[in-house]
Amino acid sequence: MKEVKAIIADDEGPLRQFLRARLAEVWPELIVSGEAKNGKEALDLIHRHRPHIAFLDIKMPGLTGMEVAEKIPGACRVVFVTAYDEYAVEAFEREAVDYLLKPVSSERLARTVKRLKERLETGANVPAEILHRLITRLSEDEGSRHLRYVRVQHGDGVRLIPVDEVIYFKADDKYTLVITKEGESLVRKPIKELAEELDPEKFWQIHRGTVVNARFIARVSRSLTGKGVVKLQNRPETLSVSNRYMHLFKQM
Amino acid sequence: MEFRLNNKRFLGSLALTAVFNTIIALFLTHLGFGGGLRINFIFSQSIGLCMCSFILAGHYFVRGPSIPGHVILLLITMPAGATVGAFIGAQIAGFSFSEILSGRPAFFIQMLFIGILFGTMITYFFFSRERISQTEAQLQDEQIKSLTLEKKTLQTHLRLLQAQIEPHFLFNTLSNVLSLLESDPTKGKAMLMDLTRYLRSSLSRTRDKMNTLGQEMDLVRAYLEIYRVRMGERLRYTIEVPGELRDVSFPPMLVQPLVENALKHGLEPRVEGGDIFVKVEEDTDCYRLSVADTGLGFSEDSGAGIGLANVRERLEALFNGKARLILEENQPSGLKVTMEIPHERSEGHYSR
Repeated sequence: MKEVKAIIADDEGPLRQFLRARLAEVWPELIVSGEAKNGKEALDLIHRHRPHIAFLDIKMPGLTGMEVAEKIPGACRVVFVTAYDEYAVEAFEREAVDYLLKPVSSERLARTVKRLKERLETGANVPAEILHRLITRLSEDEGSRHLRYVRVQHGDGVRLIPVDEVIYFKADDKYTLVITKEGESLVRKPIKELAEELDPEKFWQIHRGTVVNARFIARVSRSLTGKGVVKLQNRPETLSVSNRYMHLFKQM
Repeated sequence: MEFRLNNKRFLGSLALTAVFNTIIALFLTHLGFGGGLRINFIFSQSIGLCMCSFILAGHYFVRGPSIPGHVILLLITMPAGATVGAFIGAQIAGFSFSEILSGRPAFFIQMLFIGILFGTMITYFFFSRERISQTEAQLQDEQIKSLTLEKKTLQTHLRLLQAQIEPHFLFNTLSNVLSLLESDPTKGKAMLMDLTRYLRSSLSRTRDKMNTLGQEMDLVRAYLEIYRVRMGERLRYTIEVPGELRDVSFPPMLVQPLVENALKHGLEPRVEGGDIFVKVEEDTDCYRLSVADTGLGFSEDSGAGIGLANVRERLEALFNGKARLILEENQPSGLKVTMEIPHERSEGHYSR
């Protein structure tokens, strides 16, 4: 068999050494032509050395292992390495993608090497659409895409207020006032823009200029003129509800 | 107290009033008052139902918990309802107005008086019934609240336990120890000692016990040492704690999540890595503990601050709203998280 080249990418030095040592045991003929400390270096190495195999740690600074793999379609066979990631491992199993768990055991590595040798001969590689599917599925697990903090000016600096602590937002000219238990601050963003970024399950727009955190609503009633009025928990002020938003309270 | 109205309540009140009216008519007839059962029945129904409708209608104008408002409402609606009811009753019974006013004014006044007397009693009955049902509702609300609180406490404890044994951290560290035992056994042993120290202090202490600030700082140091081996020169850190503050008692596992947040979302994803500064100061009324990093900082799509919601909840439970957690953008880059813990605290809250 012709000589086979590989690269190892992991941001943690001892782990690169460890994998290299294990590979030397189970596949002495393999030439490790380079080591990378982050995603960008890995990409450079692959372009420069054209290895047959790339061992890519999933969690790396710069680019993740999967992002690297997506950028080099067909260039080389990829083996993902991860310390612990239930979702990723489940996805790899389903898509029959090669992967190793850290700490890498010699037996497990030997099995992967056997499979790699077979696949190198057939030339089969991870199809790009599988990688793409993996990346989108795994990035969905990163949590909600809704806004979690708002940036407010405070003295010379910028403070971050968790949206869960916000009682309500009130339009103030082009900007928005943020009202919390501790006081008022200003966000340099129009309320319309904020309303789109907030989780609509938790934050209700009750008026063109008001978005309220539903968990702080004490009750809703109708005034003499039939207008909806929101009473807040432990707050003296009330907020009025425009008729077009009254449907929010229909189920209450 | 609040009165809420809907059609069902309106009709229900009228029906109940009609029953009372019938009893009143029977009672008055039994006493020999008025013009026999038929006349008494007509008058008591018309007066009673009129008063009831007037009072209910009045609730459209007087709402909310204002007691004087309701008293004024009753002072107006009861006589008005009784008068109108008496005239309607007279119409139904076949008396003419002139006959009532000229011939039997005493009977008419008596009727009004009896109407208002019974009306007051019945109104009081409705009022009490309303109060009892609201007290019950309140009681139920409180029960729900305390159950929710209990559930929340349990969830917080569970999350705290999970935070202590983060599998990704554990497996990555063990892999490092394993590889160092081959290449650099002394360094490997040191790392294993740090891991042991970290696990012992994060697992063995129950959440109800207080640690000292010194112990917490040792835990953070062991944690950062582990990361320094893993990240190499990408991580630099300093811990600044005045010696006299080391013995201050401090809740366990509040500082570590701040450091973890700085590492996970600030420095680890940054190619160049960076610095972490842990600092404790004493102010007139609080201890101020800050963890600053020079990492990626806050961006809308970063996961920064996910672990902090847990810290915020625990601070709330431990210090009853008197502790603060402040997030700021660090200069020139990164995030700074400052925790302000009041000097005095109620132990009762702590043991929860």
